[in-house]
Amino acid sequence: MSAVLRRALGAGIAVAALFGLGALSRAPYTADGARHAVLRLTWRARGEQVEECRRLTPEELERLPVHMRQEERCEGRVPPYRLRVSLDGVRAVDELVRAAGARHDRPLYVFRELTLEPGSHVLVVRFARDGETPTGARRPSEEDREEATTPARLVLDTVVTLAARRVLLVTYDEEGRRLVVRYAPTR
Amino acid sequence: MPIAAALQRGTRRVLARADAWMNRLYGWRYNPLYHSGALVVALMLVVLITGVYLLFFYRIGAPFASVARITDQVWFGRWIRGLHRYASDAAVVAVLVHALRLFAQGRSWGPRTLAWVSGLTLLFVVLLCGWTGYVMVWDIQGQVLAQEGARLLDVLPILSEPISRAFVGEHPIPGAFFFLNLFAHIALPIGMGLLVWLHVSRVARPGLLPPRGLMWAVIGLLLGISVFWPVGMAPPADLFALPGRAPFDWFYSFWVPLARPFSSGVVWGAVVVIAGVTLLAPLWTRPAPERRPLPSAVDERLCTGCEQCYEDCPYEAIGMVERADRRPEQSDLVARVDPARCVSCGICAGSCAPMGVGPPRRTGRDQLSAVKAFVAARWPGPGDIVIIACDRGAGGIAARAWFHGAPIYAVACAGSLHTSVIEFVLRAGAGGVLVIACPARDCWNREGGKWLEQRMYHDREAELRDRVDRRRVRLAFAGEAETACVLRELADFRVALAALEAAARESDFDLSRECEKIMGEVSR
Repeated sequence: MSAVLRRALGAGIAVAALFGLGALSRAPYTADGARHAVLRLTWRARGEQVEECRRLTPEELERLPVHMRQEERCEGRVPPYRLRVSLDGVRAVDELVRAAGARHDRPLYVFRELTLEPGSHVLVVRFARDGETPTGARRPSEEDREEATTPARLVLDTVVTLAARRVLLVTYDEEGRRLVVRYAPTR
Repeated sequence: MPIAAALQRGTRRVLARADAWMNRLYGWRYNPLYHSGALVVALMLVVLITGVYLLFFYRIGAPFASVARITDQVWFGRWIRGLHRYASDAAVVAVLVHALRLFAQGRSWGPRTLAWVSGLTLLFVVLLCGWTGYVMVWDIQGQVLAQEGARLLDVLPILSEPISRAFVGEHPIPGAFFFLNLFAHIALPIGMGLLVWLHVSRVARPGLLPPRGLMWAVIGLLLGISVFWPVGMAPPADLFALPGRAPFDWFYSFWVPLARPFSSGVVWGAVVVIAGVTLLAPLWTRPAPERRPLPSAVDERLCTGCEQCYEDCPYEAIGMVERADRRPEQSDLVARVDPARCVSCGICAGSCAPMGVGPPRRTGRDQLSAVKAFVAARWPGPGDIVIIACDRGAGGIAARAWFHGAPIYAVACAGSLHTSVIEFVLRAGAGGVLVIACPARDCWNREGGKWLEQRMYHDREAELRDRVDRRRVRLAFAGEAETACVLRELADFRVALAALEAAARESDFDLSRECEKIMGEVSR
C-alpha cells in the first residue's frame, strides 16, 4: 500500500469513525410511541396518625437505662387508604395505599398511570381511609391533628377529555382539601 | 476458567487485527487503540474546559432556555457545546477499548486488581456524569433520563419521598433539583480526578496523556465535527405529554430502551449481576494457582545496590532497603521486591547486570542457561538470523520453532531479555539477532520495549556490551497480528547482513566460562 493511499485510507477511517460518533450521539429514539392518552393519579396525603400506647411493666422499665424510663410507650402509624378508580363505569383500580416508612408512619404517596383511549371519559376516583381506628388506639392531640390534613374520604366524580399522547393529572389540592384535575399548563 | 480464557483469546484476536490495521494506517506511535487510556484523560480535559465555558451561561432557573441560548446566541456556544458532547462520547468509546484491551491481555488480576476495579468505577462515574449532563438540558432525552432514573431510585429505601413525584407535573420542577443536578455534574469530575489518581497509583511513570500529535489530531477532528455537524436542540421536556421521538445520545442513554420494559427490581438485578461479573473479573480471569507466575526475587549476594531494577520496574514493586548483614565489600542498600505489587513481568531481570533479580527461572542466569540449550539444539550458523520474539506480540510467531528459515528463541517479554543473551547468540556464531518486541504502548508490561531499546542502543544498565557488533543486531516492533512486519524486517536484515563479512564463531567459546566471566565482571 502506497503512503498516499495509506494516508487517504487513514483519513477516511477517521472521518467515518467521527461520522459514527456523531450519528450515535443523536440517533432518534421513541421513548413512547403509543397513540393513547394517560391518566396520571398522583398526590401526597397526610393521613391522620393514630397512636397505640401501653404501659410498660416494672420489669421492662428496670431493663431500660434510667434516662429512658418512660412509663408509657406509644407507637404511631397512619392507617391505610383505599384507592378506587372507575372509568366509564368500569373499575380500573382498587388497591390499598399504605403510608410510607417501615412503621407506616410517613405520608401516603399515590402514583398510578392508566392508559386511555383519547376522548371523553367519566372518571370517578375514591380515596378513603380503610377500616376503623383499632381498639385501644388514640388520636393525637389537637395540635398534631392540624397537620393531618387529608380528609378520611375524598371523591372526584367528573368527565375528563384527553387528547392523544397527552397526560391528564389527578392530584390532591391541599388548600381546597379535594381531588382536582389538572391539564397541561399553557406555555 | 476455560470460558474466561476462550473469551480473552477471542477478544485478543480481534484487537490484534484491529491493532495491525491501525499500525499500518497511523503507525504504532499514533495508534489510538494503544493510547485508549491516555485518550480518556485528554478527552476528559477537553470536557472539563468546555464545561467551564458552558457553565457561565447555564441557568438552573431556565435550563432548556439557557441551553438553547448557548446553542443559538452565545459566542462559539454551539461549537463548544458540540465539542463538550462529542468529547464525552469519544471518552466512553476510549474507556471501553481500554477496558477491553486489559481484559483481553489478562491484565486485570493480582496487583492490577486495584486498577481494574477503579477503572470500572471510573466508567460508572463517567456514565453518571453524562446522565446528569443530559438532565441539565431538560429536553425530551433529559426528561426520560430523569424519569427512568427516578423510577429506579425509588425502589431503593434511601429517600423518604419518591423522587418520581418530582416529574409528574403536580408542581413545577423545583430549582433545587436543577441545582443539585448541576452540583453533581461538577462534583463528579472532581471525584473522577481522585479515582484517576487511584487508578494509576500502582504504576510508575503513568502515561496520562497520549502523544501530542495524536492528542491534537483527535481534538481537531472533534472540533471539526462540532463545526460541520453541530449539536442541535431536541424538543423541550413536557411532563404533560408522552415522550415522543427525539434524538438520544446512545453512549449515555443506551440503557434506557433496555430498562424501560422491565420493573425496577429486574433492572437492579441485572445491574447487580453485570457489575458483579465485571468487578469480579480479577477472580475469574486469573490463572489457576499452579500456572500463576511467581513474583521476582532478589539474590542479595549478587545485588550491588545500583538501583537500576528499582528505576526500571514499571509497577514500583521494588524498593531499596538497608542491607541487614552487610559485608565490607557489599553495598549499603539492597533491592527488595514487594510481592503484592510485582506482576512478574521480569523487566528487572533485564535491568540487572549481575543477574541477581528476576522471577524464578527467568533471571539473567536462567536466561543464559536457556539460550545455551537453544544454541546446542539449533546450532545457528553464520548465515542464520536468530529471532528473539516476545511471547505476546512479534506477529504471533513466538510459539513456532522457525520462521522463514530463522530459528526462533521466545521470551516472556522482550523487556525482560538480558542483553547477555544477544551477545551469547552472536558469539556462538549466529549471523545476526533480530529482536521483535511489542510496540511501546502495547507492551503488556508497560515499558519492556522502551527499556530494551535503551539497553541495546543507549547504554542503559545492563547495556549490550560495546564489543557486540551492532550491525548484527536489530530491534523491531510488531504486534501480535503483524506477521508481515516481522517477515519484512527479517528480509531487510538478511539483505543488510549479506553485505557484511561472514560471522565468526569464537574458537575458545565456552558457555559456562563466559557466564561466570560476565557475572564476575559485574560483581567486581
